[in-house]
Amino acid sequence: MGDVLSALFTLLVFPGFGFLFFCALVFQWIDRQVAARLQGRIGPPWFQPLADFIKLMAKEDVLPAGAHQRACAALPMVSLAAVLTAALVIPINNHATSVFEGDLIVALFLLSLPALAYFLAGWLSASVFSVVGGSRALLQYFAYEVPFLMALGGPAILCGSWSISRIAAQQSQTVWMIVVQPVGFLLAFVGLIGKLKRSPFDIPKAKSEIGAGPLTEFSGRKLALWNLSLDMKTVVSIFLLVNVFLGGSLTPFAVPAALIFGVKALLILLALSVTGVLYARLRIDQLAILGWRGLAPLALVQTLIVILMGV
Amino acid sequence: MNRMTIPIGPQHPALKEPLSFLLTVEGERIVEGALRIGYVHRGLERIFQNRNYIQNVHVVERVCGICSHIHTTAYCQGVEALLGLEIPPRALCLRTLLCELERIHSHLLWLGVLAEHIGFTTIFMYAWRDREIVLDIMEELSGGRVAHAVNVIGGVRIDLDQERVQSILTRLDELEQQIETFLGVIEHERTFQVRTRGVGHLSAEQVRRYCVVGPVARASGVDVDLRRDAPYAAYAGLDFRVITAEEGDVWARTMVRTLEVVESLRICRQLLRGLPGGPLSVRAARRVPPGEVVSRCEAPRGELIYYIRSDGSDRPARIKIRTPTLTTLITLPDQLRGVNTADVPTVLSGVDLCIACADR
Repeated sequence: MGDVLSALFTLLVFPGFGFLFFCALVFQWIDRQVAARLQGRIGPPWFQPLADFIKLMAKEDVLPAGAHQRACAALPMVSLAAVLTAALVIPINNHATSVFEGDLIVALFLLSLPALAYFLAGWLSASVFSVVGGSRALLQYFAYEVPFLMALGGPAILCGSWSISRIAAQQSQTVWMIVVQPVGFLLAFVGLIGKLKRSPFDIPKAKSEIGAGPLTEFSGRKLALWNLSLDMKTVVSIFLLVNVFLGGSLTPFAVPAALIFGVKALLILLALSVTGVLYARLRIDQLAILGWRGLAPLALVQTLIVILMGV
Repeated sequence: MNRMTIPIGPQHPALKEPLSFLLTVEGERIVEGALRIGYVHRGLERIFQNRNYIQNVHVVERVCGICSHIHTTAYCQGVEALLGLEIPPRALCLRTLLCELERIHSHLLWLGVLAEHIGFTTIFMYAWRDREIVLDIMEELSGGRVAHAVNVIGGVRIDLDQERVQSILTRLDELEQQIETFLGVIEHERTFQVRTRGVGHLSAEQVRRYCVVGPVARASGVDVDLRRDAPYAAYAGLDFRVITAEEGDVWARTMVRTLEVVESLRICRQLLRGLPGGPLSVRAARRVPPGEVVSRCEAPRGELIYYIRSDGSDRPARIKIRTPTLTTLITLPDQLRGVNTADVPTVLSGVDLCIACADR
């Protein structure tokens, strides 16, 4: 009985749905506030993300006649489920629900599932804007995913383990991976912007060009779940980067581990917000060129160096 | 590759006013664009014929929501020519001042829209924030932010005292510093350049063939500006440069417009410092002697032409307006052919359309 209760607590409260839901709202609010302040605006009040979510949940849910009704209802849930599952293998505050060799690969796979669901949502929702957005999302996926995976592979090779917890633990004995592999961190960061479809890589949902992209036809609960899953993906991906490159929550100082972890995550979020404010949106072909001619070769060189160093 | 038709408009996030484009695309490349206008046709030219000349000042002001003052200037100028009125210099200077303030506000508004379309929200926010400086000045001067009702036939209805002149001058200096920031971004920011360079190209030859006017023509190296070529109001006595560029793309248009804002600021300072004394208006007769006149002004978007014909009554027999947007609209199918769908908003906003003006 106790086991069941504790499993339920893990899934629903910490580090499961409840905690991630809270983090998603807080991160979204901080992101919007930072961007607003940098742009000379006031920004939303703290409860705005929650209010948006509740309002969307209560709104009418319509899909156009040609859309695939069942798939469109399932896709946001698939996306949300993938993100929530990924959260189970990523150590939060020094503790992951499930630790095994290779959980880094599992986390990366689960975190790229929403991209596939996002593409399908565009493809199946019967609107030219969403079809164009969907194909852009897929093109973008190929541009950022390879450098992102290779960049995260670097620390794994160096630590000799494909487990996120062990990579994080290893760093507490040596140095942070960001110091050893600054290029790798930069690549992962740029890849993350593409992965989260944030400005300046918000190409699949460029609102002046194709409305809301793949999500143009979504409304009500489905849109609320989509937004939530994308916000949670932001949180989980940031946690992943903190563990792999910034040494997780381990610290030599006598400060609560949770605090350290939170500060590191917020620093990455801040960097994301500031980057989003600084640049104009790229075009999809320009991003593909950046990805394949700039990021991928860099990632390759980085990986080779790491392998040679390891030998 | 299979072809797809993407509708841009009449309602679309990239359009601030209704206009319709049916784009045929192959993948992300545009094969053809079919243009439809007329969604905001209000029959204004007919309405003019049913109002007398004084009432019409207020109707022409409502042709456009951005360049309202230049429309009344062109109209009043035409009617004054028919009446043979000599306008006092102070009135001409104040008219010109409003024209230039309006140019600044229109160009900044445009810069914001372009930035928004290329996904550069920060510049959008900054441009519209700084545009408030000009809007505030115009509101203080006339009581209206957009429709100023400054011109009357025979002069203007607003005046300025020395204290206000000083306050405006300080605020214009503030604005100039902000413009420097924009120029820095336009010249040096890589992402801004890759989104605007080589997009929406028009050659000087195309510009001449389509009779394109204003900043779009000047950005393609065609040196036309009525303020210098056929001075009206107080422009004859002012010192300013006509900005041109050679590239003919959206980047060049951005550069031309932003530098024009700097020139407009210079003009405003000259006007405010050398404001002549004297009356603000002269009396105008209600009935206009028979005749016809063509009145031309350099609106923020280029040459604005008013044709007015009088039959000797207190109502115009015909008023015909040719707005600068009409000339740029015709070039759009050419500009859109072969571009990436992602560049459509950039091309559309690059020419600075004013659909309300063009449809009337």
